[in-house]
Amino acid sequence: MMENRNLIRPKTSRGTLGPVQWFFQVISGVFLVFFVGVHLYLAHINFGHPIAFYDSVLNNMHNPWWLAFYIAFDWIVTYHALNGVKGIIYDMGIKPSTRKVVAYGLIALYVVSIIYGTALAIAVSHIAVPPP
Amino acid sequence: MESRAGVLEWFRFKGKGIGYFGYAFQRLSGVVIVFYLYLHYIVLSNLLRGPVTYNDIVGSITYGPYDIFVAFDVLLALVIFYHGANGIRLALNEMGIGLKHNKLFFYLFEAVSMVLLVAFLYYAWRFIAVG
Repeated sequence: MMENRNLIRPKTSRGTLGPVQWFFQVISGVFLVFFVGVHLYLAHINFGHPIAFYDSVLNNMHNPWWLAFYIAFDWIVTYHALNGVKGIIYDMGIKPSTRKVVAYGLIALYVVSIIYGTALAIAVSHIAVPPP
Repeated sequence: MESRAGVLEWFRFKGKGIGYFGYAFQRLSGVVIVFYLYLHYIVLSNLLRGPVTYNDIVGSITYGPYDIFVAFDVLLALVIFYHGANGIRLALNEMGIGLKHNKLFFYLFEAVSMVLLVAFLYYAWRFIAVG
């Protein structure tokens, strides 16, 4: 039964990322469906709370719940993105020593990216909204 | 040389079935989204430069002179909806769901996501056009 299942399992990055990182890739992807859905609704559809221009972005980020939402979004989307990039680069048939360099390079890029994204979100949340 | 062959291999669909097509475009769409993610970081950084600069940038890429970016946004939305729908299918596969009917699941999830995409684009367009 299991053999049959494995035979029709679609091609994914599971083999190159390994089971643990593939698991986190899948879980973060599921979370991102929620985060991206909320973000697209909030930012691009005018149902009374659109965020597009400066004041609306600031107003939104002054709400601590939205600030937390976007910081969590930033951490998860950047993880998913760079873990995916790692899978692609690994699949290019690079040497194990190069894999290590790629892995550490992407970890460094992840840390720098989320620190920057978080700092940007917090900085924006502290800017006073200009009077109308 | 090996690397270039690896990427080109994604696009050799002949005889590989729809599952492989899904895999190749999951990667291609992923690369596009990663590029956009960092572009988004750059655009949002302009919030720190004040309302005039930020609104000028958003206005110019929405209402002109660089409103070609609206067309890019449509393509980006297409890529995001495709990637998300195929990703959910793969997540369900991980739980053993849909493995026997992979082809059907692929078409079903992509069809639903394209309907959602059209609805999203309609309302997003109204937001741009009406405000």
